[in-house]
Amino acid sequence: MAENATAWAFIGPAVILIGLFGLFPALFTIYVSLFKYRGKPQGAFVGLGNYAELLGPNVLYLIAVVAAIAGMALGVWLIGRRHRWGVVALVAGLVLFAAGGVGIAVALPYLAAQGDYEVFDSLRVTIWYSFATVPVQLAAGMVLAVFLHRKMRGTQAFRVIYLTPYVAPAVASAAVFEQIFSLRPDAFANQVLKLFGLKPLEWLQSAKGLVPLLFGAGALPSAGAGTVGAYWLKWAQGPSLALSAIIIYSWWVFIGYYALIYMNGLSSIPRQLYEAAEVDGAGKVRSFFAITMPLLSPSTYFLSLLGIIGTFKAFTHIYVLRNVAAQGTTDPISVLIFYTFYNKSRMSYASAISMLLFVIVIGLTILQQRMAERRVTYGD
Amino acid sequence: MATRMRAFARRRAAATTAVAVALAAGAFVAIMPFLFMVSTSLKTLVETLTRVDPLPFRAEFWPVEPQWNNYVDAWVRADFSIFFRNSVITAAVTVAGVLATSTLAAYAFAKMRFAGRVLVFSLLLGTLIIPESVYLVPNFILITKLGWNDRLAGLTVPFMASAFYIFLLRQFFNQLPDELIESARIDGAGHVRSFLGIVLPLSRAPLVTVIFLAFIGSWNALQWPLVATRTERWRPLTVGLTMFISESGPEWHLRMAGSVIAVAPVVLLYLLAQRQFTEAISRSGIKG
Repeated sequence: MAENATAWAFIGPAVILIGLFGLFPALFTIYVSLFKYRGKPQGAFVGLGNYAELLGPNVLYLIAVVAAIAGMALGVWLIGRRHRWGVVALVAGLVLFAAGGVGIAVALPYLAAQGDYEVFDSLRVTIWYSFATVPVQLAAGMVLAVFLHRKMRGTQAFRVIYLTPYVAPAVASAAVFEQIFSLRPDAFANQVLKLFGLKPLEWLQSAKGLVPLLFGAGALPSAGAGTVGAYWLKWAQGPSLALSAIIIYSWWVFIGYYALIYMNGLSSIPRQLYEAAEVDGAGKVRSFFAITMPLLSPSTYFLSLLGIIGTFKAFTHIYVLRNVAAQGTTDPISVLIFYTFYNKSRMSYASAISMLLFVIVIGLTILQQRMAERRVTYGD
Repeated sequence: MATRMRAFARRRAAATTAVAVALAAGAFVAIMPFLFMVSTSLKTLVETLTRVDPLPFRAEFWPVEPQWNNYVDAWVRADFSIFFRNSVITAAVTVAGVLATSTLAAYAFAKMRFAGRVLVFSLLLGTLIIPESVYLVPNFILITKLGWNDRLAGLTVPFMASAFYIFLLRQFFNQLPDELIESARIDGAGHVRSFLGIVLPLSRAPLVTVIFLAFIGSWNALQWPLVATRTERWRPLTVGLTMFISESGPEWHLRMAGSVIAVAPVVLLYLLAQRQFTEAISRSGIKG
């Protein structure tokens, strides 16, 4: 009994603070999103009005998208049961998965067309940012960790240097990258282009998509057919050049951090495995793919979870390089929420958008946990 | 056999050289922007426009005559005395709060058995997936109601406890043998004494790490201070620097001087904490 009281006294301060500023706000956000707070914390009850503005008036499109996602999930689940339930489960699963995919391809454009286009544009930016940063950082971090793990002099110095971009304030390091990616012909990025005989670009101030930039304006049709075509044409443009510059900046910031986490995973791989592989005649590259990569899968799982959720939360590293000339093509949903609240003082609407973000993050977490259960090898 | 060994050693040496070269190239990329920051901060305005070169081993990268005065100019023009003081106080108070709450909680979760332990711990961990953007509006309303808007409390109290630090410390406390605490308790020491007298003195590396992480978390924060400050009274360096950067326009030398001022304390502390920090980050609770 006394132990209980002491223990609660120990955790009390942390529990109260995290409860008040960490758990309670998540619920309070739902409450705020049902009102019309604007600046002053008072406002009329509007029910789901903010969500109607966010997702559009016709709830059928939302239901269609959710049903399509559920269909795909159910399909994957059925495919996973094929060993127990046989070919029927496999076929039904594949059909459901495909139908869900088609459902999203058709219903999502209509949902985006009737909802707040800014929110749907920012979701696309978020996904691009996430998919262009996390896999690259994982791959580069892993290779770097393997290099750093080698026994030789000076590795601690390298570790310190590689982590410096991660610990330095983004406001300051971004100021340098603003100069590196400035539109001046003698800016660093443009000097590099010049080495390859290319013309200078506008980088952070360019809203142009990467695909038309790389393959010429004629690579894509000028206008998509109908709502569906127009929506997916926006995806086909690729991330804007400005967003690409921010993505490069993120690589610079995070690769060292990823490498350091991987190093822990490396130190727990037994040496004998590599020796055995060498006896069997496997080269360095072969043992990297056959031993290192699979045995690092717990670290990869941890980092991809951290990374994908992290990119959905990312704010500072994007906000500081944001340029008006990029016309919002660099604003992920976190930045949009901030602007909706801070510049437009639309607190309730910002809360509604943040609930959408929250639901997506929870969905991603569940998805990753499911995938990890099957894929992660815990080498002992 | 001997020739084979020698060939092997030679191949190994060659591989080590190749790896060292690759690592050095990567380190150059990691460090280059900082060199750029320093060199630009020492140039004259004219030099920032005319004397430019992307490579630090060429003379044009550096100023003809280092302009140390740029730092004084930036410091005065951007009101850095206030912002710097604000950031130092905010970070110190936050770090102290984090240390107090998270060491106590981590000790209880690692070394005590009590009702609700698992439930509370998983609830706390659950907060880690909640995006910051979700907190923004409700916490703003909360600190406004508490009268903490534009106050030190509004900048510090919400960050004085985090599940992440509790988790990190608990991982370490878990590794300390239970017998250590048991035997102290047989000698009549309560949990408070074994916490202060045994566990904390043995935890230098993780404590240094938590201090450093909480420090950079507070020092580098931008989003919340933008929202929670209205005047210069408690506005931190990051916000001050952001404002200065947009005001200074094309005066790159001053911008970079301001950036160096913001980076310097972090780098200094980092060099002091680096061994413990790189050690603890690379084992922050994941089983490899």
